[in-house]
Amino acid sequence: MAVAKSKRYVNIIDTTLRNGEQTAGVVFSKHEKIRITKMLDEIGIPEIEVGTPSLGIFEREIIKEITEDKFNCRIFVYCEAEPENIKYAARCGAKNVIINISTSDIHLKEKYKKNRTWVINKLRETIRTAKQNDLNFIISAEDATRTDLEFLLKLISIAKKKGAYRFRICDTVSKFDPFQTFLYINTISSAIDFPLEVYNHNDFGMATANGMAAIRGGASSLVVSVGGLGEGTGNAAMEEIVMALRYLENIELGIETSKFREIAEYVARSSSRAIPIWKAIVGTNVFAHESGIHADGVIKNPKNYEVFNPSEVGLTRQLVIGKHSGSHIILHKFKEFDIELTDKQANEILALARALSEDLKRSLFDKELMYIYNEYTKKKESKREEQNPEDKA
Amino acid sequence: MREIDLLTEFSQKAGTEIDPKNIKIDDTTLRDGEQTAGVVFANDEKIHIAKMLDKVGVHQIEAGIPTMGGNEKEAIKKIASLGLSCSVMGWNRAVKSDIDASVECGVDAVAVSISSSDIHIEHKLRKSREWVLESVKTSVDYAKGFNLYVSVNAEDASRSDMEFLLSFARTARDAGADRLRYCDTLGILDPFETFMRVKNIIDIIGIDIEMHTHNDFGMAIANAIAGIKAGATYVNTTINGLGERAGNAAFEELVMALKYIEGVDMGFNTTLFRALSEYVAGASNRILPTWKPIVGGNLFVYESESKASGVLTNPETYELFKEKDVGLERKVILGKYSGVNTIIYKLGTLGFKISRKEAEELVEIIRNKTVSLKRALFDSEIIDTYKSYKGRSDKSKSDKKGGK
Repeated sequence: MAVAKSKRYVNIIDTTLRNGEQTAGVVFSKHEKIRITKMLDEIGIPEIEVGTPSLGIFEREIIKEITEDKFNCRIFVYCEAEPENIKYAARCGAKNVIINISTSDIHLKEKYKKNRTWVINKLRETIRTAKQNDLNFIISAEDATRTDLEFLLKLISIAKKKGAYRFRICDTVSKFDPFQTFLYINTISSAIDFPLEVYNHNDFGMATANGMAAIRGGASSLVVSVGGLGEGTGNAAMEEIVMALRYLENIELGIETSKFREIAEYVARSSSRAIPIWKAIVGTNVFAHESGIHADGVIKNPKNYEVFNPSEVGLTRQLVIGKHSGSHIILHKFKEFDIELTDKQANEILALARALSEDLKRSLFDKELMYIYNEYTKKKESKREEQNPEDKA
Repeated sequence: MREIDLLTEFSQKAGTEIDPKNIKIDDTTLRDGEQTAGVVFANDEKIHIAKMLDKVGVHQIEAGIPTMGGNEKEAIKKIASLGLSCSVMGWNRAVKSDIDASVECGVDAVAVSISSSDIHIEHKLRKSREWVLESVKTSVDYAKGFNLYVSVNAEDASRSDMEFLLSFARTARDAGADRLRYCDTLGILDPFETFMRVKNIIDIIGIDIEMHTHNDFGMAIANAIAGIKAGATYVNTTINGLGERAGNAAFEELVMALKYIEGVDMGFNTTLFRALSEYVAGASNRILPTWKPIVGGNLFVYESESKASGVLTNPETYELFKEKDVGLERKVILGKYSGVNTIIYKLGTLGFKISRKEAEELVEIIRNKTVSLKRALFDSEIIDTYKSYKGRSDKSKSDKKGGK
């Protein structure tokens, strides 16, 4: 079976509003939650996790408003495995739930102080309630990557038998690298024919790579969040997964990527977090070029240093003048200002710009570049006047 | 190439053990890190960072670009004269005058960089493949004449024709280069592709390989590890992943991933990681995101009941390493997702021993407060909230008593 480069479909489920909000210190307002749902729906995200009904009335009111609205995407809510939680979900109009339970021995022993039989019974009980309430459900195994494989397979077969929509495998502690992820998912998907979804954390900077590896291993769905917002180091970033699928795997989800920057900004503001300027895909520095080599390459042909056009994710290209700039970029930059420099002028201005940049310990604003130019030309003129005083007359 | 059986085979091979002694870190915070648009280090900062890197245990420091002259050259000269335990490398284009500048700085190693992809050769260099090979040969010869350790950097290697890249590597090896830096200049590889390509070069040419990866699609660390699994022995890292565009493989992430995921403990002094990251963030005038892997300020801050109740019983429920291992601190805060256990613990740390019943009543009060403030609560707010709750419940108790 060929995995990549085929026309296979991959699902993503965005959890910005659930696990994203669960991040220490982050709270979205009702207005923000609804706005983010709309934005994600509009760009074509197929599934969204919007919240945790058991948290309280405030949360259930938001969820109710979202489930009553008309969206193209499938709306999910999140429940720890407990019949009571399912009832809360049903009461706020949810049609789809994620039923989460820890499955690793360490979690059973230390967190629940229960055994594996308890997990099975708790799941059965919760699933029964979900079915009674006519809910579509995903079973989510927390800490699945530290779970005994036989036990995990047993849980997946229960989920399958009970008519679950999908099974979610959580790499809760970021235990795996992409090769291990691939082998693990491949082993599971070869053992049992059931749709798998993978949830990654970014503790070692590999959330996106692991998500992609899971797809290669046979998973059909990934859990993502805008900007990777999530507990601890966060999750696989939605924008990275969508673009990596498009450009590294040739799998097109049909999502309107030109809104990525705008959505990332909205989520960043709502969660009181800045988007690092170097954030993959949506950071403002991703298309900024300063060094002589890179800037020169980009001026000659953007493909030298860019895989896709900045407008594809709602960004713009910037040429920045600083310590590492070369004379080509100076020539190019001044052309933008409608000033044609000679090579000699460009080199002299470059030396001045580099010195100022070192002095200021940063790159220069366009204005500062113009100040340099103005002073430079003035100095040249007065020099000429000194040398040829008769010119004045 | 991408059939699943083959992938499985590759992935299994990629699981073989790696000897920590064979893996070396070449940190380029001072070169590729500073080359980032907008970043300029002062010379004092460069020297301080070099000393910290040496102290933490990196094997080699790429200190800068000597041919830039001026302050840059002065800083490199100074770093090379510090008597550090690590090797000090200067970065060069494959040009004799660049190498001369490196020699003048007194470095013991040079990186000689030239593009190997047709797109760069045609559109950037505007030369031919033959010209590239000739430049590699001439500049390696030249650098070797000064008895320098030489890394030949294949820029844009990941978009290079594989056959040509092999000739490139062969030319470098035959000219006496010590290693080849495989640059995924645009960050377009995934770990599987990286593994196959790097393994190919090692199997066919047999030269030491260094991984230089970029994070454009969030894969810098995974690709660096894939390279190591394929037999690469050097990784080019930067502190905080500082580097052009989305940056490079972050030093602290790579070291910890090797240690905790691959079981390769290189013996770095990881407790200095947070301090090193803070210093570089400050010097590069960038924030250190609270969620930054390994060193982010919030990584050991717990709010949600689900995680906090696990971690408070046994940190191993959610952590592979301890906060002290990287110079961070553990903390519990109260917010929308906090519950009974979190509240009992938190108030305990603030000096109030409360009952489970009290905690159950406080959950709703605290969640409502945090929802209306749109953030977690400050310690003083938690104390206020508890005191006013306590006042109310004591009052209602005494009212009841009075009623009797």
